[in-house]
Amino acid sequence: MDLAKYRNLFLEEATEHLAEIGQALLTLEKDSRASAEIDTVFRMMHSMKGMGASLGYDAVSELAHRLEDRLGAWRKRGRIDDEQGVAVLFRGLESLERMVAVVRDTGEAPPPDAELLAALDDPESPKKARRLS
Amino acid sequence: MTVRVLVADDARFMRQLIRDIIEPEGFEVVGEAADGRAAVEEFSRLQPDIVTMDIVMPKRSGIDAVKEIIALDPTAKVAMVSALGQEALVTEALQAGASDYIVKPFKPDAVIETLRKLAEKAP
Repeated sequence: MDLAKYRNLFLEEATEHLAEIGQALLTLEKDSRASAEIDTVFRMMHSMKGMGASLGYDAVSELAHRLEDRLGAWRKRGRIDDEQGVAVLFRGLESLERMVAVVRDTGEAPPPDAELLAALDDPESPKKARRLS
Repeated sequence: MTVRVLVADDARFMRQLIRDIIEPEGFEVVGEAADGRAAVEEFSRLQPDIVTMDIVMPKRSGIDAVKEIIALDPTAKVAMVSALGQEALVTEALQAGASDYIVKPFKPDAVIETLRKLAEKAP
């Protein structure tokens, strides 16, 4: 694999995805039943997970995977039925943006956001993730 | 004879990756599709030997696209592209008529082996 070529493709596509996620979250903040936006964020997280895993950016793929799982459940229910859900997604977006910036600035795999991952693992995670933001 | 492949994935990154894995092995990527609807349209237009089909795509999911492709051509050979954790969706796609599947992150040898096996498979 031509790493430089794929790193550039990742940076280009990830930047677009994160912008699209940000737009969708602004809509979801006002309407938690905006199913097209839930679907968009789900697909973008799925894509971030795949690209991250392909390049060995485990921090990106793991965080995107956890958020994709959350979104998958909300997608089935047709709404984000957790009052802190959108805040968690914004927190995830911020973290992914930082990770992409690390790749852009250093060319290296970014470190994990252990605090957010731990919060997402916890049953009380929405509140904890919110506190982290 | 060159095996003609249509690559359907909403991520440019993944489309390029599949292209770079299979083209040096003698497969020809004759088209790309970035959503499920385009995958069906490009299948009809290009009549490829094999389609690689991502499961999660906009406009129409990969599974719905497989159903439509199989309705158009019951002998179509479609390899689903799945991620870990999508086993249930892969099963659904196989029941819908997909022939096989490849898993992300890609192991190039496994991708090539799957596509070769499909190419050799009788319609």
